[in-house]
Amino acid sequence: MNTDQLTRRTFLNLVGAAGGSAAVYQTSMAMGLMQDTGPVAMMDLKPAARAGNRVAVLGAGIAGLTVAYELEQAGYDVTVIEASKRIGGRNLTLRHGDIVDEMGNTQVCNFDDEPNLYFNAGPARIPGHHRRVMHYCKTLNVPLQVKANFSRPAYVHETGSFGGEPLRIGQYIADARGFIAELLYKAADQNVFDQPLSEEDKERVLQLATVYGDLDPNGIYQGTRRAGYKSGGWVQPAEYHSVMDFSELLHSRFWERGFASSENPDWAEPLMEAVGGMDNIIKAFVRNLKTKVLTNAQVQAIHNTSNGIDVVYNHKGERHKLSADWCFNSIPTHFMVAIPNNFAKDYREGLAALQPGNFFKIGLQMRERFWEKEGIYGGITSTNQRITQIWYPSHDIHAKKGVVLGAYAFRNQSGFFERMSPEERIAFAADCGEKIHPGYKDYIEAGVSIPWGRMNHMMGCGTNWSDEARDQFYARLQRPEGRHYMIGDQISYHSSWQEGAFASAEFALLDFDQRVRADAAVTRKG
Amino acid sequence: MRTGLFLLLFAICPLAVAAEPDESLPVPADEFVYCTVCHGVQLMGNPIIKAPRLSGMDTWYVERQLMAFKNGWRGAHESDEVGMEMNPMAAVLSDEQIREAAEFVSKTRSPLPPVTVDGNVENGRARYMACAACHGIDGKGNAALGGPALTGQNDWYLVTQMENYRDGIRGSHPADVYGMQMRSAVQLLSDDQDIRDVVSYINTLNTNQGN
Repeated sequence: MNTDQLTRRTFLNLVGAAGGSAAVYQTSMAMGLMQDTGPVAMMDLKPAARAGNRVAVLGAGIAGLTVAYELEQAGYDVTVIEASKRIGGRNLTLRHGDIVDEMGNTQVCNFDDEPNLYFNAGPARIPGHHRRVMHYCKTLNVPLQVKANFSRPAYVHETGSFGGEPLRIGQYIADARGFIAELLYKAADQNVFDQPLSEEDKERVLQLATVYGDLDPNGIYQGTRRAGYKSGGWVQPAEYHSVMDFSELLHSRFWERGFASSENPDWAEPLMEAVGGMDNIIKAFVRNLKTKVLTNAQVQAIHNTSNGIDVVYNHKGERHKLSADWCFNSIPTHFMVAIPNNFAKDYREGLAALQPGNFFKIGLQMRERFWEKEGIYGGITSTNQRITQIWYPSHDIHAKKGVVLGAYAFRNQSGFFERMSPEERIAFAADCGEKIHPGYKDYIEAGVSIPWGRMNHMMGCGTNWSDEARDQFYARLQRPEGRHYMIGDQISYHSSWQEGAFASAEFALLDFDQRVRADAAVTRKG
Repeated sequence: MRTGLFLLLFAICPLAVAAEPDESLPVPADEFVYCTVCHGVQLMGNPIIKAPRLSGMDTWYVERQLMAFKNGWRGAHESDEVGMEMNPMAAVLSDEQIREAAEFVSKTRSPLPPVTVDGNVENGRARYMACAACHGIDGKGNAALGGPALTGQNDWYLVTQMENYRDGIRGSHPADVYGMQMRSAVQLLSDDQDIRDVVSYINTLNTNQGN
């Protein structure tokens, strides 16, 4: 590329940056390039016939409970069996006295016994375009509240940048946009594109750049009140922050982590959470089920038979056989390779082709809501330390205490924490937090860690699909094997999101309903 | 027509047989369900979790390895990420629980594991002669000499463990006498290919129905 001339494509990329990816997203939606999660299928399942109405649901997470609920509504006789001690799968809210069933490291949550002191150890935020989550929360009367996921007063912290001092995200973003806008202004002003802009468009771009970065009339970024006042601004004259060195901004890596995170639709404001804890969604399903979920029941074998499906499971030291007409299975695929079955070869190969994902979280009870004294009322601080993030609760503002997320490790970064004892994890997170909030350690009263890759009957969180596995096996695993359906967020394009689990359950139910209707039609003719 | 009937029978027969649970298989006590989470139903092994097959393993060897994990002789090396996953599981077991766990392990049964290693069997046979002293000509182990059975084990696991011995990840702790012996023994294998060849030969010793 000629350095004097920007191509039109580069220019459009710059404009994209200027308009924000929200604008790009809207355009993409309109062009059909990107889907939201699509309308919720209004479940109109054919009412169960007298025969053939026994359903086995394996796993009592979001997907399993959804299938159980919908099929009970249609009159089916549903049995739900769950391997772990509790119902809910990875939808887990920890409160006073709850047990964290980690392999070899059983923990008890030692938060105070107060309704506002809880930690969502699994799913913790709901964007409004996750229409199935929203649908079931509405249908089952689960109250939601807005959860602040992004906060300008929260911090950027980089051990190798800004002298290791935390910097307000708002200040970072204001300066970064100022510099980007200045570049855009210069490029448009000189009109050095391979196809020059019309005078009219050029004028508009100059205006856009000026507004985007808060530039001065000459297109120069001189700082902005958007970065926050350094002092004054109300009854005293305002003093602004001085403009940061652009190379230092570039040198820090916040621009590839938190900078654009809320422009991902799944993390875009406003997000929501269930009032009082995400597991209220689970409780609502349980309230609305006739069947009682059988916990501590571990599947030993699954066999399609000529006219049904048999599930063998162990419960309290005894073996049982459940004969059903249909089976909906949300057992993690990485366990299915070690559960005897008579599935077809391609189906078994598909199950064996997937790898478990992983996440790790720490929840810390703080004796005071010290972040509120720093003007923070929710959102996320981003750090390049292994804890990666600190989340501040936006619920119960001004309460005495609060629970923050003290670490959030993604995928293979989780192993670092898994190999520590629970006490070591809390101590490590405390040290990291101290670098951002002086006194952080002393505020910590209680802590709990959740390594999903080490949780009993989970050994992972979400599913990693390679591109090859997706091409070769996704459609196959979505389709039933005999009378057996694999379900769960693992059988979706949105693994480790509740919406993925709901969507997978819906997909399976609609396929199931078509089969039942087709069978009924054949029977009538016969 | 005949082909159709054959296919139909073929499709139905195995199902009818498999649908009935085998009452002779042990059911783990609640405290040992943990073992089956990673090692699978009847401890058949889970290659995705990298948990080896333990079905029918001799009690003395299971006890010794649980003690090795509990004492940090195994699974303590910083490169042994999978072994480290086992440490906390063994650390919480009492001596009595270790005996009970080994008892449960020895009673489990599962089909023989699939062959996944493709080495030179002839070279492996020649190399195996040195192994046979402790592990037996038939690979079924020798309790008196402390050599565990190698048959019935996942071949990928045998490869990993021999590499771990070779690289000092296993068998380096001075208190791990048998592990130290094995670490010396594995030096007789000159390279990765030798290891794969020996394992391929061990695969040929898997002639029974599993255990």
